[in-house]
Amino acid sequence: MASSTETHIEDNDPLDDPPLDFAATESFLRQAMTMILEDAVKKATDVRQKVCEWHPPEELKELLDLELRDGGESEARILELCRDAIRYSVKPTHPHFFNQLFAGLEPYSLVASFITEALKPSLYTYEVSPVFTLMENAVLKKLIQTVGWEEGGDGLFNAGGSMSNMYAMNLARYRHFPEIKELGNSAAPRLAVFTSQECHYSISKAAALMGIGTKNVFVVPSDKRGKMIPSTLEEQIKSIKSEGGVPFIVNATAGTTVLGAFDPIDEIADICEKYKLWLHVDACWGGAVLMSNKHKLLMKGIHRVDSVAWNPHKMLMACLQCSAFLVRDKSRLLQRCHSARASYLFQQDKFYDLSYDTGDKSVQCSRKPDAFKFWLMWKALGASELEQRVDRALAMARYLADEITKREGFRLLMEPEYANVCFWYIPPSLRDLPDGPEFQEKLHNVAPVVKERMMKKGSMMVGYQPHRGQANFFRMVVISPQVSRQDMDFVLDEIHSLGKDL
Amino acid sequence: MEATTGDLTDPLINHADGQLFLHEAFKIIVEEVLCKGTDVKEKVCEWREPEELARLLDLELREKGEPQENLLQRVRDVAKYSIKTSHPRFFNQQFAGVDYHSLAGRFLSEALNTNLFTYEVAPVFVLMEAEVLRGLRELVGWTEGDGLFCPGGSTSNMYAMNLARYRLYPEVKSRGLWSLPQLTIFTSPESHYSVKKGAAFMGFGMDNVILVKVDDGGRMIPEDLDEKIELSKSQGAAPFLVSCTSGTTVQGAFDPLHRIADICDKHKLWLHVDAAWGGSVLFSKKHRHLMKGVHRANSVAWNPHKMLVAGLQCSVLLLKDTTDLLKKCHCANATYLFQQDKFYDVNLDVGDKSVQCSRKVDCLKLWVMWKAVGSAGLEQRVDKAFLHARYVVDQMKKREGFQLLREPEFVNVCFWFIPPSLRGKEKNADYQNRLAKVAPVIKERMMKQGTMMVGYQPLGDRVNFFRITILSPLVSQKDMDFFLDEIERLGNDL
Repeated sequence: MASSTETHIEDNDPLDDPPLDFAATESFLRQAMTMILEDAVKKATDVRQKVCEWHPPEELKELLDLELRDGGESEARILELCRDAIRYSVKPTHPHFFNQLFAGLEPYSLVASFITEALKPSLYTYEVSPVFTLMENAVLKKLIQTVGWEEGGDGLFNAGGSMSNMYAMNLARYRHFPEIKELGNSAAPRLAVFTSQECHYSISKAAALMGIGTKNVFVVPSDKRGKMIPSTLEEQIKSIKSEGGVPFIVNATAGTTVLGAFDPIDEIADICEKYKLWLHVDACWGGAVLMSNKHKLLMKGIHRVDSVAWNPHKMLMACLQCSAFLVRDKSRLLQRCHSARASYLFQQDKFYDLSYDTGDKSVQCSRKPDAFKFWLMWKALGASELEQRVDRALAMARYLADEITKREGFRLLMEPEYANVCFWYIPPSLRDLPDGPEFQEKLHNVAPVVKERMMKKGSMMVGYQPHRGQANFFRMVVISPQVSRQDMDFVLDEIHSLGKDL
Repeated sequence: MEATTGDLTDPLINHADGQLFLHEAFKIIVEEVLCKGTDVKEKVCEWREPEELARLLDLELREKGEPQENLLQRVRDVAKYSIKTSHPRFFNQQFAGVDYHSLAGRFLSEALNTNLFTYEVAPVFVLMEAEVLRGLRELVGWTEGDGLFCPGGSTSNMYAMNLARYRLYPEVKSRGLWSLPQLTIFTSPESHYSVKKGAAFMGFGMDNVILVKVDDGGRMIPEDLDEKIELSKSQGAAPFLVSCTSGTTVQGAFDPLHRIADICDKHKLWLHVDAAWGGSVLFSKKHRHLMKGVHRANSVAWNPHKMLVAGLQCSVLLLKDTTDLLKKCHCANATYLFQQDKFYDVNLDVGDKSVQCSRKVDCLKLWVMWKAVGSAGLEQRVDKAFLHARYVVDQMKKREGFQLLREPEFVNVCFWFIPPSLRGKEKNADYQNRLAKVAPVIKERMMKQGTMMVGYQPLGDRVNFFRITILSPLVSQKDMDFFLDEIERLGNDL
């Protein structure tokens, strides 16, 4: 111990102070919870309230009193600060929040989140997290069954789909060249990754982080419906091989971010089998179709792949984070690839079956039990309700697409395959312009203004983006079972109302 | 019930039911986890073998859902069979205890379900994260800089590695490691295993993590670091990063930062300080000297969910850099998230600084707690943990059978318990073997009885010893006395 501290115990020794105890703070916690349930849950999901209360950053900083000081504040003030944090936050659980690939509120999942926060477990060993270790296993098993791997598999829950995609790349690399774990990338020839032009940007980030390099991610063009073109994939693979590169993984996307397109997994699997490449399917967004008898065909061939990333926190509405990584392997590849066997966590002489210590499968140390958020909600709803929700979301998207087609001034980008409905709003002033650069430029400026207006009004949130050289278009994402036809009509009415003068 | 997808007129769910469930479940959480879970009269854990536990929990996921009473019982069961990490006698890991303000912040973060990639969806938390990072950087000694919250210290350490690599060889982002010389990383054998995991993951290879000798306190020896760097260079490799530790996992040792910084300056290496465990000493005027020199580092990893009791996850990476290196290194400029024509300053969209896409709000829990108790309150918490450790060490010296590994520098107290049957028998040939078997048995007994949880591990050639870390604000002197008595009670007959 540093010599500056006394070795004798002082008179007013803090050790004599009574420790913090629950009774004293119980009142605070109850008040906080009442406020959370009222403001962050009830009001946030109420269509009569705003989705967001827009303030520019300088103004918001003043309103929030963010400064951290030396002295503490009263409990009343703390509750006030929390109330303000709620008030000025965007409500992704609001029925008119359509901005991202997640939305809505799932109360059973939220309860699981609350339990997790209260218990604060870390999922590296059975000894510290017995319940959650078993739950994660049970959920993974069920997901693997749903994917269709009869022989079973392995997996874990990650801090996001980006991480799941990285794991796939890492396992594929390790399977091809296990010596890379010890010796590094330079022990292997130049590796090549293949993915579609519509894939999620985490593929690129993964290649950079893992020392593979973004230039070694080869982008395969997609067709008009956003699907990877298998014949071009094969050409590219052959081309790279002839240059001395070593293809090792193909990333197919089931539910692309913008268009919601599904790559043709069966055909891609044929190619991967032929060239002995790892096939990973990024089904973070689209994986939910596997819950639906009607729509699972979108992922036909999924049982043939090596790994799947699937985020229940998206379409299935589990609370953030809830991202599963599944691998069709029974040789403990995940463990072998990632293990460091730290003797201070994974002691080999424990008194229980060590295969329950999952921590060394992960690249993380502390890990939250995210699977539990999905387990409790599945227990509550059952697979049939989850199926119903998926079917309903897609039917709702279909309805919206039909309405768009019927309405003047709205133009669909493409018939939706999933829950993404992409369209332009063409204000009256532009409707008679011929298509051409002038029209495209003016159209490009419409969505950002409509977006600004909807946010400042707080009536709804819908995303827009440019894509493949096209003018900015809206991307409506339909997820939540609390949303109904009226809400779809509202979206179109509101866009028109906000943009008709442009 | 048949699928009603044909009728899209009404919402499919009933909010009132959901809200009722939340309300009822919260009562159970308060009772079972927060009250009982922090009560010394209750057990720390309710041990069950995995197969039995699986049966008790009824894990199977089925076609049909369940009524609310069933689900509430499940909530009770989960609480019952989970480890009470806030219990005053949970000493097993580098986190423990509970801060109720942070807990409120955590509940709130979950309820809001915010995703921290853009200002448009997370206005409050983009600003809040920036403010918290600024406050933490100030404690490191930086008036400017960068950083973000990561899903764990392992990720923070990886980010540091990535930034160091990118700064030296920006082309690695697009070309990969193939065009570069062999890059080497330096760390001590007492460092966290994430340095090695990170090296493997990022394509460096675990063998290119070069281990630097430590002294008998577990601290990196700067002279050896210098030698090893020279050796690596002479072998044609390119040293680029030193990852040193402030508060090592087992012993709680603090690497000598000033001298290591001298060496990094000399060789122009990135200096990363893994202060995931020890960083919180920076709140304490009395103890911050342990990290003297930290302002000279390029990056610091710090986990407030450890000593500050913020609750998992709460991990930051702090950077001295002001050239937007973090964003340049990680960005992918996805046009569907980071549109350049937004109506507000797009620099507020911090998402491209991260390797993650969706990112949870982990700053609120720390911010609420910091607001509630102030830096002074957090300082007290840190100082108290040192006093606890001091008390336990003093008591152990008075008790027969407790042998400290060494005088702790921090709040990790590492010791062997030597049962009466082994006392005085150090010279016996099988002494070490027999001693190694003591801790695992005591651990098994304490867990099966549920009285407390303390970790043990071997280290180098030292056989299994206990490591107690006492950081919870709920712990009192009685608990520490209990801990010593209980070790004796559980191990005296061995």
